[in-house]
Amino acid sequence: MMATTTSTHQPPALSFPRPIFAAVSPHPFLQAHLTAPNARKAPQRANGRTAQEFRTPGINTGSLTHCNGSAVVRLGNTSVVCGARAEILADVDAAAAANGAIAGADEQDPDEEREEIESLRLLVPNVELSTGSTPQHIPGNAPSSFAQTLITRIRSLLLSTHLLRASDLRILYTPPSSPDEPDEATAAELKGYWVLYIDIFYISIDGNAFDAAWLGLLAALQKTLIPHAFWDEDLETILCSDDPSDAHSLSLRGLPIPSTFAVFEGKRDWDECSEDDETDWMLSDPDAFEESVCRESVCVVVDCSAGKKGAKDGILRRVEKSGGGVVDREGMRGLVRRAVERWGVVEAVFSGKT
Amino acid sequence: MAAASDRRRINAPSSGTSAPVFARTVKEPGYLQSLRPARTRRPNELRKTFLQTGIVPSASGSAYLEIPTTSTPNSKSTLIPPTSSLKITASIQGPKPLPRSAPFSPSLLLTTTVKFAPFATRHRRGYIRDAAERDLGVHLETALRGVIIGERWPKSGVEVVITVLEGDEDGWWGDAGQESASGMNGGGWALLNVLAGCITVASAAIVDAGIDVVDVVSGGVAAIVRDPTARNETERKVRILDPSPAEHQEIVAACVVGYLASRDEITEIWMKGDVGADSDGLIEGATYAAVGSVGVLKDVLLEAVEAKFKNQAATTSKEGTKRKQQDVKMTG
Repeated sequence: MMATTTSTHQPPALSFPRPIFAAVSPHPFLQAHLTAPNARKAPQRANGRTAQEFRTPGINTGSLTHCNGSAVVRLGNTSVVCGARAEILADVDAAAAANGAIAGADEQDPDEEREEIESLRLLVPNVELSTGSTPQHIPGNAPSSFAQTLITRIRSLLLSTHLLRASDLRILYTPPSSPDEPDEATAAELKGYWVLYIDIFYISIDGNAFDAAWLGLLAALQKTLIPHAFWDEDLETILCSDDPSDAHSLSLRGLPIPSTFAVFEGKRDWDECSEDDETDWMLSDPDAFEESVCRESVCVVVDCSAGKKGAKDGILRRVEKSGGGVVDREGMRGLVRRAVERWGVVEAVFSGKT
Repeated sequence: MAAASDRRRINAPSSGTSAPVFARTVKEPGYLQSLRPARTRRPNELRKTFLQTGIVPSASGSAYLEIPTTSTPNSKSTLIPPTSSLKITASIQGPKPLPRSAPFSPSLLLTTTVKFAPFATRHRRGYIRDAAERDLGVHLETALRGVIIGERWPKSGVEVVITVLEGDEDGWWGDAGQESASGMNGGGWALLNVLAGCITVASAAIVDAGIDVVDVVSGGVAAIVRDPTARNETERKVRILDPSPAEHQEIVAACVVGYLASRDEITEIWMKGDVGADSDGLIEGATYAAVGSVGVLKDVLLEAVEAKFKNQAATTSKEGTKRKQQDVKMTG
């Protein structure tokens, strides 16, 4: 947005150019925007969106050479590079012993698989904010509490949604049946695991870092190709086939999409203490400026891909809420509805790509 | 790995992981050699450069540089990653006042940080800055410090943050096993290319941030390689501009410069390897490469300025009517 220049005629009321108003008193600035002066048009936020409006993500995949799957996601001015890279965890003896005979079972309880992935640390997501993406994160310091919170949230969502199957990450070896008893099928041995390093780099942050990171991670994982790995008896090591037709992609469970809302608490006027006047706004997909004025935030993760009816029946995967008590039960119901709508939009972007 | 004790990040399994080994590279020696990239450019031909400014709106200046590889032999038929291209982002934070505790500084304090992304190279890199990255940061600072007119910002500091999303390679990865070829003179050739890219992209970002400079600095690399095909002369050395280390079996020497084209000055020079008598020729080659990238740089900066003015003209013409709504009245 360009800075407005001073006008030729001075208006009588105290008036500032927009950037100065926003910098000097951010809270009244946003409130002045949200209280619409004219009833014909829906009130707009400072960034030109309505309170309910999300930013449409732009997704680009496969741009990094050294990754098994990668994505660049833009959410307005927030942009994220995510690369997923698979490496082999060969030293699996101790881990396998702890887990018992897991290799045999084909269909497993998702919770057991989660246990397997979590205890072996097969998923290693990390974020980097200190890339000059925002003035708050200057390199040279340890990861800030914001970065640590962010990555913990991403990891816990990754595990709790059971997004990845442990069977995709196992490297199995079926020994050739012995010549004495050729009929007897030999059980597959577990030789190793694929470990997925998921590195999320922010190029620029303009609010809603979590949603952008998660969309980047999803897009990268959807495109991830794991090479076919096998145990080589001669060399006694795990080798991979470099033929793309042998490789498999990850079969993800569902498509959980987060929607973040910021709750803006407007200041009520003293003279009119009417309760019916709307003074709190739930802003979808807040930008950096809005995040700086809002205390309460809600993140709703829904997944509607399981149902056949599209966006009609969704599964609520996670609700995170912090910072205040404005959103009540009714408000939360509305937010979930908005999150389901959002799911439809994001899903369309994803399926447009795939 | 040092990262094992990092409690602020998510750590890998403690026993460590290894990059996948592809069967055909181990079992069929001929196959490995068939993947070797070769330079298809003429000795004086530079790679194409893509440069864009203003990619980080919250920074005062930013730029993105991409130098795609020219040799991508068969990326569709194999999962082995081909030679990577160079992808670098730069962002400038500042100039802003120094903290009150800092001692007085009569000129702008420049801080440069170069960080590789973990997925930037064939071997996964850690999150904590290593010696090579620090080294690059110092080199970049040297290249930029002489260019910025620091006296105009007393008591302030500026951060130049470079993120290498994808770096050039030290040599062809297939040679990594047999240390005979590149092991003689150390390797690490990729750092020179990365530094040249860093200088160019940082320069673009600095101009984008509106920081006064004496001239636009740009980076260039030249190298002396041994041509394996020339058998008639035993010591056949060729000088090439803008080398891609993976495309050459043996690099004898290389040099990177930070060069001010219109003033004909060099702010930074880093030479590696066995140059022999012809060090001047190598430096000259590097300045030619730098002149090549300054051409791109100037075009891009000019374009950015034109776009800015066009935008401004468009908004000011609209502003006459919209101006009243644009201003937000302060009430209460």
